[in-house]
Amino acid sequence: MTSVRDRVRRGSGSSMTRDLVSASLRGRLPVVLVLVLMIIVFGVTGQGFFTNISFQNITSSTSLFLLIALGETFVMISGGIDISLASNLAFSALTAGILMTKMYHGHGDGALIVIEVAVITIIVGSLIGMINGLIISFLKISPLIVTLGSWGAFFGLAEWLSVKYPIGTLPPASFTFGNDGPVVAWIVWLTIGCVLIFAFVLARTRFGRYIFAIGANREAVVRAGVPVRRFTVYLYVIAGLMAGLAGFISTCDFQTASSETGSSYLLIAIAAVVIGGTPLSGGEGSILGTVVGALIISVLENGFVLLGINTFMQLVAVGAATVLAVYFDQVQGRMRIRAIAMGAQGETSE
Amino acid sequence: MLSVKNIKKSYAGVAALRGVDIDLDVGLTAIVGDNGAGKSTLMKILSGVVRPDEGEIVIDGSPVTLDSPTRARSLGIESLYQDLALADTLDVASNVFLGRELVKRRLLIHTLDDKAMRRAAAETLKAVGIGIPDVKLPVRQLSGGQRQAVALARAMYFSAQVILLDEPTAALGPKETAAFTRVVREFVERRTTVCMVTHNLPQVMELADRIVVMRAGRVVATMNVSDVTEEQLLGLMVGSAAAV
Repeated sequence: MTSVRDRVRRGSGSSMTRDLVSASLRGRLPVVLVLVLMIIVFGVTGQGFFTNISFQNITSSTSLFLLIALGETFVMISGGIDISLASNLAFSALTAGILMTKMYHGHGDGALIVIEVAVITIIVGSLIGMINGLIISFLKISPLIVTLGSWGAFFGLAEWLSVKYPIGTLPPASFTFGNDGPVVAWIVWLTIGCVLIFAFVLARTRFGRYIFAIGANREAVVRAGVPVRRFTVYLYVIAGLMAGLAGFISTCDFQTASSETGSSYLLIAIAAVVIGGTPLSGGEGSILGTVVGALIISVLENGFVLLGINTFMQLVAVGAATVLAVYFDQVQGRMRIRAIAMGAQGETSE
Repeated sequence: MLSVKNIKKSYAGVAALRGVDIDLDVGLTAIVGDNGAGKSTLMKILSGVVRPDEGEIVIDGSPVTLDSPTRARSLGIESLYQDLALADTLDVASNVFLGRELVKRRLLIHTLDDKAMRRAAAETLKAVGIGIPDVKLPVRQLSGGQRQAVALARAMYFSAQVILLDEPTAALGPKETAAFTRVVREFVERRTTVCMVTHNLPQVMELADRIVVMRAGRVVATMNVSDVTEEQLLGLMVGSAAAV
């Protein structure tokens, strides 16, 4: 039995990049179209949408939650979820702010301090992720529960930090890193680099393949002899690392931090992953999808600002968009199942 | 030749295997028995998923420790599981090579060699003789028989010495079962040791060279297929007949 789709797919050549793009875009075309449509609508109705400032705003604001969304994409493709990233980000942001305040005494631009604190903050974020990963992997507790617990714990610790250690003057180099850069801010370039690395790892390495396989059938991967528990820990370490990095960047960007830092990013990050086509059940998804999902949310937010719509409505819109995306995914899934059932019928009647 | 000697295994104090001795020779050995006889536990021990509490496993005269699926595979033991250990959203080639992906070196990183894996998977599936339209299809789009073929292709590509089949045709239709039977015969002709757990007695009579009957964690009878009828076999399984 050869369906039309098979023939089309076989005829589509096999260059690696084309494969990569087509694999990421398979079934995600509607999402890309939504993004294009939104850009057109806001471009026509919102004044100043196609300006340099608007572009800078969109890229910078996307960067912060896209960084968390990248780690979350890995975790969710593996069939897990990490909701502790919000308080991990706040805790890391405060750590960065407090350390830079303590270490910087007003001499020079403090570039070295910024680099040192960046490394420490990333390690702090990774350690939080490691705690999650170890508990999930070795105590076999649901990721939702474990990360809900650590979300609460690190939110509490972040509040304590913010009360105990006020953040003062930060090194000028941190401001430069967070806000300046060629064409777009340095943090945007950093995010682009992370996107490329994540996309490469997911599509081209064994680790990436196991992320999908664990999400599809964990037991199969265990029986295939893959150290699934160790890889699961890695996934949460990576997610934590990205939250740590985002926390550090947020402190540089806003030149301050609080326990509320990034509290709305978790919803937005998960929304980006889900709108980008990664189901909660795992086994599927792509980095490109998440990037498109993140851009949709950013364009939506920016468009709302330009149209003068209340900022509180942005979160409402993001929430609604997420639910809609999942609904359309389910409809697509049902259609696919029907197609398979019909295919199977065709085969037996052969 | 793979022998298990005096294998014992208990789960939380409940004995699943109470001292099992079986010799698996080239050809097909069918293990039959009622539910709870310990067949699946034995298969899990042989595939390295479960470790026995006591006993010894000997391959070609030397004792081995099957402490992980990877170890079992490196000794040439391949398993096909009842629930088909395939990752549904991955394509056919990725599943054939799951856990043993072909890689190529680019700069300092090993990257997946999907091209080579797809080619090898397509060739092996052709040899298995069960048609799959495209190795780039996710396995969830395949029929039961095609999925089984993917698992068999895995065993064939990595030239398994011992193949463990746990209820291999339980989920297959008649046509698919026939195709599967043909492939198993081919394995036997290649002098592979095949060990099959099944409830399907007609299939046992048709395919097996030797039959091992298990009951309540023990081997109660071992015989050549020519020495027994289906009725006698059934009697042995439920315990109403004297041992042969």
